[in-house]
Amino acid sequence: MNDYKSRGAVGRIYDIQGYAVHDGPGVRTTVYLKGCPLRCLWCHSPESQDFGFELGYLDVKCVGVKECDNSCVSACPAGALSADEPGGEFPGSGAAVRKVSIDREKCTRCLKCAEACLPGALYTAGKDAAVGEVFERLLRDRIFFKNGGGVTISGGEAMSQFDFTYELSVRLKEAGIHVCLDTTGFAPEEHFAKIMPYTDLFLYDLKCMDSALHERLTGVPNELILENARFLAENGAALQIRIPVIPKLNDREELLGKAAEFCVSLGESVKLVQLLPYHATGKGKYARLGREYKLKNVEAPDDSRMAQILDIFKSCGLNCQIH
Amino acid sequence: MNFDVPISPAIKKLQEKREWSNNHLRLNTERNRIITEYYKSHEAEYPILKRAGYLYQWCATREINIEDDEIFLGGNGPWARTLHFDIEATDPNWIPRCFGDTDERFRRAWQVPNCVWVDDDERQYLLDAAAWWRERDISAHVRGLMTPDLYEKFGNGVIDADMYSTFITYQGHFIPNYDKVVKVGFGAVRQMAVEKLAEIDAHITTETARSHPFYRAVIKTCDAVILMAHRYAEACRKKAETASPERREVLLRMADSCEWIPEHPARNLWEGFQSIFFYQYLLSADGAHVGDSPARIDKYIGELLENDLKNGTLTEEQAQELCDAYILHTGDLLVLCTYPENDEIFKMHEQGRNLFDTLGKDQNVTGGMNITVGGMKADGTGEYNTATKMILLAYYRLKVAEPSIALRINEYTPDEIWALGIETSKRLGGIPQFNNDEVIIRQMLEKGRSLEDARDYGIVGCVEPAVCGKEWPFVGSAGHWGGFGLIPVLNMCIYGNVNPMTGVEGWVPCKKLYEYESFDELLKEFEHQVKYYLDYEAKIYQLNALVFDQDFPCISASVMTEGCVESGKDVTWGGAKYYAMGAMTRNIANCADSLMVIKKLCFDEKIVSARELYDALCANWEGYEKLHQYILNKVDFYGNDVPEVDELARWSSSLWLDYFNSRCCPYDGAMNGGANDLAFVLVGKNTAATPDGRRAGEPLAGPNDPRQAMVRNGPLSYIKSVSTLEFDKFRCGGAINLRFDANSVKGEEATAKVRDLIETYFRELGGMQLHFTVADTAVLRAAQANPADYQDLIVRIAGFSAYFTHLPFEDQEDYINRCELAI
Repeated sequence: MNDYKSRGAVGRIYDIQGYAVHDGPGVRTTVYLKGCPLRCLWCHSPESQDFGFELGYLDVKCVGVKECDNSCVSACPAGALSADEPGGEFPGSGAAVRKVSIDREKCTRCLKCAEACLPGALYTAGKDAAVGEVFERLLRDRIFFKNGGGVTISGGEAMSQFDFTYELSVRLKEAGIHVCLDTTGFAPEEHFAKIMPYTDLFLYDLKCMDSALHERLTGVPNELILENARFLAENGAALQIRIPVIPKLNDREELLGKAAEFCVSLGESVKLVQLLPYHATGKGKYARLGREYKLKNVEAPDDSRMAQILDIFKSCGLNCQIH
Repeated sequence: MNFDVPISPAIKKLQEKREWSNNHLRLNTERNRIITEYYKSHEAEYPILKRAGYLYQWCATREINIEDDEIFLGGNGPWARTLHFDIEATDPNWIPRCFGDTDERFRRAWQVPNCVWVDDDERQYLLDAAAWWRERDISAHVRGLMTPDLYEKFGNGVIDADMYSTFITYQGHFIPNYDKVVKVGFGAVRQMAVEKLAEIDAHITTETARSHPFYRAVIKTCDAVILMAHRYAEACRKKAETASPERREVLLRMADSCEWIPEHPARNLWEGFQSIFFYQYLLSADGAHVGDSPARIDKYIGELLENDLKNGTLTEEQAQELCDAYILHTGDLLVLCTYPENDEIFKMHEQGRNLFDTLGKDQNVTGGMNITVGGMKADGTGEYNTATKMILLAYYRLKVAEPSIALRINEYTPDEIWALGIETSKRLGGIPQFNNDEVIIRQMLEKGRSLEDARDYGIVGCVEPAVCGKEWPFVGSAGHWGGFGLIPVLNMCIYGNVNPMTGVEGWVPCKKLYEYESFDELLKEFEHQVKYYLDYEAKIYQLNALVFDQDFPCISASVMTEGCVESGKDVTWGGAKYYAMGAMTRNIANCADSLMVIKKLCFDEKIVSARELYDALCANWEGYEKLHQYILNKVDFYGNDVPEVDELARWSSSLWLDYFNSRCCPYDGAMNGGANDLAFVLVGKNTAATPDGRRAGEPLAGPNDPRQAMVRNGPLSYIKSVSTLEFDKFRCGGAINLRFDANSVKGEEATAKVRDLIETYFRELGGMQLHFTVADTAVLRAAQANPADYQDLIVRIAGFSAYFTHLPFEDQEDYINRCELAI
């Protein structure tokens, strides 16, 4: 277990980011795992949802199909790619080029085009990596983890790839690194029981107190999530509760009041409540994966609205902040 | 912490006046008229006496104006804000080109509303004067000493962009001994010179003969600056006669002070600042050394400020007002350090700008002045006082970008100063620059400075550390372009001793890229060439110093610089306690990345033959787009914490620095290599395609920084990569730039995290200097327009971070709108 070189469980991740300043205390590096059992309508990381690899396309990086000797088009066995996207510019010279376009209906996700695409315009969202490999990458940033900083394991839902997440937490903890686990709470209780000793702080989402509404907004009911939160609190885990504020969907006073009550009921375990105002950024990432953004006609809440909500939580004596 | 101390009405008035004066600037013709007339009528006078004689003439006859709302008196010219230049140290063709143009074109450039104005008689005078100086100015003396190849072949197309300009600037670029001006004064220096002169006068020897005119020059220069102060006193009294009762009181107080300083030590904060200004005007009149820097201002006047607060002569608000006024007034001492063509000026006017707006193109408008705050006392304890905070607060609240400011960081830096430094950077990108005392003091010791003096360093110009008041002349002799980049040399090795962009041949015949048998052979050739050109650079420094020693001594610096009056020698004769000469290397990233491409693709993995890569480079990548894309996207580049390429960055920069630092320095000083770059765009234009995927003519990377577009793993990996460079060798400066987006640095918690990052870089990773900037709307718009140049720009979107250029257009728009609301 202590052998850093041992490969350990394999996880599917989609990013590792240094200096993730909003993912817990101090300077942190965050590992993002791919795949989530929830489908929150406002999700800003669509690539985090599906457990499988996906084909992404970032048009600004495409330098023109012809300029690359048709590499991507000829790599596609399904005939899903073509060079009929006009209006592109060759970087530097500005010469007109035809960029690639994707017929998602025909695409079989074989990802051969992503392999062939040298500029990285067509790319594979997701990458498999063993615990040992990820751990070594994280150790490279270790020198920065002072004043409470460390590693955050996030997703997707990290608990859905439990073996990987558990082994990684154990290794980090044994190396003396502070570990945050960013979770929806939607995972078996015994997994939380097992990982608790190796987690310094849970960044724990509380999306809606009404279970039926929760199911409509996220695809799953909330009972398991609430029970796990109680379980962690009773057993002395440290929790930082994160509440997304999505206007018209989950921001009724009554629901927020209940959320505040629930946080109070968890007692000393709750170190901080974070209110995260909805934002539409991320919308365009759906298009890159050829998917549709379902949330329409929702605007970001303004500052005065957020201040009102902050008051609800503060008046219950909770340590609460916006963002 | 709340740093929003209100700005006083008097300071607001000064700010408004600055706005106005930016469109009503005049050239400082007066100074150039006085020096020209004096030199014309004293051609046979011994050079150092001629310098002192001219300075006396300038102090005695310059126009003195007491301006209405000014808190401090005077300026480099007749008014607080004039555009200063030295006729004997400019490009000798500039005046004929601009002012000798047709009448119509001259008027269009220099006599339209809102321009920098030059009268008809000034125009004629400057044309005649330039003709007189043609065979007498600095460049004429350099031509009279050197062989032509020194500047024809070394610069201009082979290694440097513009070696010519390095021969026409004054020596200097140093930290004047303002501490002594404030705490001792010119009276005591004069007295010492009188005594020393008497000592040698009776029994003169060959050894002391040269000190005879030197001491006479010191006495004359002290008399000059004291006379100038007395003339200001007289003018204040005269002005008081017609002033309002409140202003009269102020003017009379100023008059009393000007009769006391700078002859005697300053007695209060106002006198401290004003005596510094008097000396600064004198130095400028002697010759605007690019980047002469006040440095440790909080040390010079800190005690005076605290005394004034203690004895109740100043309130906190009044003390802050004086610090604010000091910064604004220093920012008024404008220097013309590049010479614009009339066609460029027309273009500026068409765009609704004027010459002033573009003064900062290469450096700041004060010609590279830098103020240093914080640091250590001689005994090694922290030196942070009320003035440290007030000077920083001036920048934070007034949002001024010049003069530049450097903050020294050590274990004693108070939390409040950390927070203020970071908050100021959030508002004003890159201000202040953070400096690591630990590394810089170690460098100073390595150069032979005493421990006490090492602790008393300040920053000169952009990034260059020097001892305050004891060291000469820093980067002066080879001017502000001193040094050369790694890429021009590497390209010589690749293209076979020729720059294909200019067709100019280099000096060291060598193979072409495809002719090397191994990667090691290429590295050996590169090493050989770097050393060859550095020997050349050292030769230029030694020869150039002779010009100043003989014909352009600097008496204004010598009167105060430690060692000169003591030894009877001018700073240009070896009198100062310490000497250092600096030169800068550049484009470390392009070099490391290019070497990595050659190593990986041609030798290790043999994906492409050296011949094919060479052909692709000669074709500027045209017809080789797949190879080009492979290089850009599949090779590990510097800046991503990949040891193999980071090691190439370390190796190539250390090669340059080790060799330069070990060359023999004029005056037996220390050679100082560093990395800084004011010309990466200019040099890039003359640089052919490079193996790192850069196209011909494109800008090169900054001095030490990884290439912006190639940073793929965020700030932690970036810092790790950069810290593989051996900063102890970067004695002339080695700053890195970190860029944050507005959302990730908002609030006090984020400030603490930025501090963690800087502390780790300094304490654990041996970093030397750091700036950070926050991407504002302008940067984000630029990133939208040129995504390739901003691939490392990470933005924080509540809950996750993303590369800005990877966001779809509508998301980018959304983000920009949110940032604007947030700031």
